[in-house]
This record gives sequence, structure tokens and C-alpha cells, in this order.
Amino acid sequence: MSRRAPVITGTGIICAAGCGVAAVWESVRANRSGLGPLTLFSSPRYANHLVGQVRDDVDELAGNVRGSRSDKLSWIAAHEALAAAGLESGFGKINSARLGVMLGATVGGMLGTEKFLTALLRENKHRFGPLRFHECAGAADLCAKKIGALGPVATLSTACSAGAMAILAAAELIEQGEADLMLAGAGDSLSRLTLNGFGSLLLLDPNGCRPFDARRTGISLGEGAAMLVIEAEETAVARGAQILARLAGWGASCDAFHATAPQAEGRGALAAMQRALERGRLQPSEIDFVSAHGTATPDNDAMETRALQKLFGEAVPPVSSVKRFFGHTLAASGAIKAVLAVQSLREQAVPGTPGFEIADEKLGLEPVKEFRTQPVAHILSNSFGFGGNNVALVFECADFKSKISNLKPEINSTALTKKGFAVLGIGAVSAAGNSLAEIAVTFRNGGAVTSAFAVPAVLPHTQAKVYAAGEFGAEQFIEPAKRRKLSRLQQLALVAARKSFSPEFAKTVAPEKICVAVGTGLGSLNDTAAFVENLILKDERAPRPSLFTSSVHNSLASQIAIELNFSGLNSTPIQREISFETALWQGMTELASGRAELALVGAADELNQDQLAAGMRWGWWHEASPEIRPFAGALENRERPLPGEGGAVVTLGHAENSASPLAFVSAIRIGRSENQNAETEARWILETLARDGILIGDVDLLLTGANGLAKLDSFYRAVAEALSKLAGKNIACGAYKHACGEHHSASAFGFVTAVGLVHDEIAPEFCTADKTVLPGGCRTVVLFTFSPTGTKGMCCVCA
Amino acid sequence: MESLIEELKTKIIAGFALEGVTPADINPDEPIFGTGLELDSIDALELVAILESDYGIVITERAVADKAFASLRALAEFVAANRT
Repeated sequence: MSRRAPVITGTGIICAAGCGVAAVWESVRANRSGLGPLTLFSSPRYANHLVGQVRDDVDELAGNVRGSRSDKLSWIAAHEALAAAGLESGFGKINSARLGVMLGATVGGMLGTEKFLTALLRENKHRFGPLRFHECAGAADLCAKKIGALGPVATLSTACSAGAMAILAAAELIEQGEADLMLAGAGDSLSRLTLNGFGSLLLLDPNGCRPFDARRTGISLGEGAAMLVIEAEETAVARGAQILARLAGWGASCDAFHATAPQAEGRGALAAMQRALERGRLQPSEIDFVSAHGTATPDNDAMETRALQKLFGEAVPPVSSVKRFFGHTLAASGAIKAVLAVQSLREQAVPGTPGFEIADEKLGLEPVKEFRTQPVAHILSNSFGFGGNNVALVFECADFKSKISNLKPEINSTALTKKGFAVLGIGAVSAAGNSLAEIAVTFRNGGAVTSAFAVPAVLPHTQAKVYAAGEFGAEQFIEPAKRRKLSRLQQLALVAARKSFSPEFAKTVAPEKICVAVGTGLGSLNDTAAFVENLILKDERAPRPSLFTSSVHNSLASQIAIELNFSGLNSTPIQREISFETALWQGMTELASGRAELALVGAADELNQDQLAAGMRWGWWHEASPEIRPFAGALENRERPLPGEGGAVVTLGHAENSASPLAFVSAIRIGRSENQNAETEARWILETLARDGILIGDVDLLLTGANGLAKLDSFYRAVAEALSKLAGKNIACGAYKHACGEHHSASAFGFVTAVGLVHDEIAPEFCTADKTVLPGGCRTVVLFTFSPTGTKGMCCVCA
Repeated sequence: MESLIEELKTKIIAGFALEGVTPADINPDEPIFGTGLELDSIDALELVAILESDYGIVITERAVADKAFASLRALAEFVAANRT
């Protein structure tokens, strides 16, 4: 069987250098910077800074879709990419179940949230509207809905490498056979948060960035989006699509060094580039051009140069940084560079480095100054994010006789999970308790106890009922000097990670063989809000850098890597209710390929007063809301289950290397549905189990996100009934949210519950509808999560 | 100058919640960051924010910060010369 090579058949782009690939390429050809004054919002502190702001008619260009500015930018680029791939009027023979979306994002709807906070703090007005579009997952949900994708749909938030990480993940899905066509890329808008955040880190150059220049002092912030249509070569050829370029190699690593500063020697950057070359079976000498991350901060350019010099020795190929064309567009950066790499390969020409004038003798590297034609077969494109989250991608000219597709496949979906992976350790922080024993007691008691949480007193209500995680032992697990720099959410995730991981596991495992994928639905909301509130109240005086670093979503996963020294792939999925399942997929993918021997996967979310107040205003909760009782059908209409917080991290390893695993996990899959149809979902679950060799007859329990919402609970029950029919036996329907509350990372707690069930620590009758007793015990549990936006995830946990 | 040094010591201890550290533990002639106080580069940037909010000194370049933070004495001199 040949490897399913990912090829690129469409590209789209919008940024300060233009709207559309042709317009941006024209700017590149003319070496013309698109930086200019900031007009999108007023910024007293940075009014005179050059930024990469996109043209004014974003709303119209996006066809007036509803969403945040980031969502709109993403859709504009996606629309162009789809049209370029000949898919504007539909997907023809492409099965929508094999069609997916994988995006990167860091800012999401922050610009709108800032408007909400400004109205609240300046005028004492609650304009909650923009909060509906706060989430980073918005763009992926929007694109998936627009194109009717029913395959894997998710968002990854690894700061400035997120766009490249999304492309990497899309390539994995194509190679595994999970999808035939992926829309991949990223979009991020400008925001006060990021402008002041980078400012607080003294990383902005007011006059425009000067990559690799001796006088460089920092970045120019930009906004934009870029998208690629990535297909399996075989299906692209079958539909007669024009192949624009190939994705020949991809690699990720973590510096495991510092929250914002890169490791000075470029250790992690080098590892990512080496992994990308290995993946493509390429020698460094085969790289004709490097599209550098080249942000123009003193540290990044020095570090990146060292890494390039280590990789290529004396023969560093031509290098450019395109950052001054459109600014540093954060998550979008890696995707924009990918689109430009494809264009370079098609045009056999490379961009220059606007902003560069004087070579830095300390670097010993002079980038390409101006646009020029040159033969290019392979381009290496680097993206490095805060937390040391590095991704390198290699693009290959379409005409180049590819050796990739003749290689043995690295993995396929069967090999991914056939034996399943061992669950070596679990760590949970929740309202139900922080150990399996405590959680078991909570289930026996019928659920966790809610507590009061103060919300802004301008509302008729002054407190909300919540499932708070309470004290979770941060003092015991994190030293004071480190603790004071971490947000509550970061502490929560780090405690869960430390609990799940024993140094014993890693005795014979190298740090680069340990990956971390810890997701979140909303990130460190409280520190993020505190940073922005400070800006509003003090007119941007003295922005606080430590609050900004906490607001970076992937600080969740990267701080675990920094603390425990893990330098494998590091990622933070941010896909609402399936953030955990996406993290699990990433971790299991790394294990299945052999790139990782251990994977820490999980998810965490925290409560926030503005989020609670918004929910109360929208009629979701009130002071007398009932506690969550799944399957009791108490909630109807506008009412929502009471919110909670918490996190869980599990350490996974290869089954054959594990002496006494707690459980096994297999059959990981993420997907999307257009509507709630129980038969469809039951077949999806059956198919996923079957391809990993799990007999449906062995399944005892379907553990779901049932939460007391009558409609959702009856849907989950119907799925269990449909599954029972297919199995020819009764499969019970279970739930866990009465123990942890409703939040985006709840299914991570669900996973821990599943381990407790198959381990006989939690009795099934405390989880099941109608208190069903399982006489034969509970040996195999399917964890199934369905998000209101239609994305879904599952995995199988067995004893 | 000595009273400004003591004032800055208090701000650093409070600002960074340095448990168990007294003003006497901080040597005014040692570098503030990367030494025994376990303060790192993010703390240095936090101190930039403190200087702005408490003394009205706006630092936008890292080179300026690096020089000012060479020692507590250097910082006191910097504050005395630049406070508004």
C-alpha cells in the first residue's frame, strides 16, 4: 500500500498585502509592504505603530456571514481556496463524510469581547452580543457548516505556529485515511489584547519590522487569513483536480524552555526542521529555499539563524522573511507562508525580505532582499510559537517526481489503534474531587455539590450556582515561585498532568519522545479578562505581561512540557466540547507513528464571572437553577445545565511497554454531523469500533455528555438504543456531567470516569439512565461527545 | 537614594509575592534578575509595568530595561533620573 500523499489543490489568502493570492503575489513581486496605520480601533499607546491591517470591506467580502472578524477573514480565504480547487459549486463525488476542516486560531473573537468589556467598564452596559462569537472554534465551525463537512473538524491554538500546526494535522488525517479532502489554514484579527500583549513584552517595532537586520527590535502586528485545500493525491487525481504543490514533510517539536522566549540555540526549531525532512525522506541539500519564521525580534532571528546553520552547515539555502509584507499575523502566519510557498513553487520565484537593509554580523546570515526567480523544488517553511511550539513544513513542486507516495505508509487508521494504547496514569481536578476514589464517592452521592459564584451585581442576580473545582492542591504540586506566574487554569492543568505522570514511566524514554496535547474550550478567561480590563480602565497604561502570557491558549500544554521537560509535539486543541477528543487524537497519532512513546493528553477550563453573567442574561441559568440530573429531563427551552470547571490529563503509552495499565484506549475519532440522528451516530460509532477490531457485542456502556437538557438527553439515549439494536444486546446509556458540571473540557472528566468504570472503582448504576445495573460489570465503555455545533468525538476505553 | 532602594525592594517583594524574602535579603549591587530571587525575564517585564504605573516611566525597548535592571542601585538611579 502506498502512502496517501497530501497534495494542495487550492489556496486563498487575505492580509494587509492584499486580498486574494494574485493581489498578494503582486505585492510580493514588487517587494511592497502592506503595513500602515491602525484604524480598526483606537489605541492610545500604539497609535503611531505600523500594523498590517486588512482593507475595510471585510464584512462585505465575507458575504456578511455572522461571526467574529477572525471568522470572516477565515471564510474569505476559505472561499477563494475552494474556488481555486474547482469546488465553488459543490464537492461533486467527494463524500462529505471524508471532508474535513482543520484550522488554527489564537485571537478568535477577542476584538468583539473587548467591545463588550469596554461597554461594561466605561458605560456600565451589558452588551453581551459579541461574546457569542468569542470562541476560537468559531471559524472552523463556520467553514464546516458552509461546506457541509462531515469528516474531522477541529481548531488548534499553538500561538504563532497554529496555522502550520493545523496544516500538519490535516496532512496527518489525509495520510491516516480519515479524510480525502481537508480545508486547512488559520485566521486571526488584530486586537487590543495582542497589540498590548506584544507591547508589554517589548517585542514591537513601531516603525515596522526589520527581519534579520542588525537594527531589528521587534515585530509588526498584523491580521489576516490563509487557507489551503489539501487532498489525498489519489482522490485529487481521480476527480481531475490540478495539483498546485505537494506537502512533502512536516514536523513538530517543543522547546520545553520558556513561556515566551525561544531557546537561544534553536534546539527545538532544529528538531522540528529535522523531523520535517525525515518525514519527507529529504536531505538538507534538497531544500532550495527557506521561508523563515523571521519575526524580527532580536531573539527569534538569532535563534532561527543558529538552527538553520546547524541544519545546513555551510550551505544554508536562500532565506527570506515575508513578515513586513503584512505583519505578524499570529496563527495565520504559518498558513499565509504556506500559500506563498505554493505560489513560489508554481512561479519558480521567491519573495524578498522587505525591511531588511543592514546585515547583522552576529548572525552571519543575509536574507534574500528582493523578489527573484530561481529554481525551487522544495521549500522549508518555519513557524514558531510562544511556549516553544515549533512546526516546520516542507512543500514540494508539483512537477517534482515525488518519492513520497511510493513509501510505505507511516501509519494508517487501523494501525493507529488496533491494540489500543495503555492508560498509564490519570489526573483530574473537578467539582467531583481530585482522585478516582473521591470521584467514585461523588457518583455514589448522586452528583457533585454546587457552590455560589459571585457575578457582577448590575444584573438582577448577584451570584451563580456553579460546579467549582475548589482547592486542588496547587501548593502541593507547584513551587511558589512558579505558581505565582501561572493562571488558575494553568495551575489546574499542571496539577492534573503531574498527577497523571510518574517519572517511572519515562525512565527509559527520551524527552523528545514525549508529546503533550492538552486542549481547552475557552482558555485562561480570568487572566485574559484582567489584562483587557486593565487596558480599558487605564487607557493602555502599563499592560501586564504575565497576564498576557497566561492568555496564550497553548500555555496550557507548553508549561507542562517546560515543567516536565517533554520536547515532542506540543499542542492545545480548542474545539468547544471536543477539545479533549481532538487532543486525544493528536496524542494517539504521535504514539501510533512511533514519534512518541508517551503522550499526555487532556483538557481544562475555568469559570469566569463575565461568562456566567452572560449566561444569566441569556436565561441559561439563574440562582435557583436545578442541579444537573442527566436523563431527568428537567431543563427545557432556554435553560442550560449549570456550568462547571476542571480538567483532566491522562498519560498514555504503548501497551506492550506497560506493566500494569489502568485501562486501554482505542477507536479515537472526531467528526461532524449536520443534525442529531441517532441511527447515523450509532452507525458511525459501530464503524469506528469495527475498524479498530473492537466487537460491538463487547461494549457495555455508551458514556455521553447527557446533562439534563431534555432534547439532548433523549438523543443520547436514542443513540444507545440504536447501538443496542446493532449489537443485538442492551448497551446502557451513561452520563458524568452531574459530577463535573457543564463545561467544554467535561469529556476529559468523562474519560477519567470511563477508566473508573472499567476499573470497577465507579459503579455503573451511578452513571446510567434509570440506574441500570450491569450484572456482568463494565468492561468496555464508548465515550461519545456531541457538541451543539455538530462536531463530535468518540473513543473506546476498556479494561 | 538609599530610601528609594528600600522602596523598590518593598515593591519587588510585594509585586512578585516573594514568600519568605525580606528587604535585607536583597543585595542592591547584584543583578535583579537571573539570580537568587528566582525572578525571570517575564518578571523583568512585570517590573517594567510597575515602573510605568508607579513612577510614570515608560520603557519600550528591551535594551533600556536591561541596563536599568543591572542592579537595584542602577534601577534606583534610573528611577530617580526618569520619574515624572
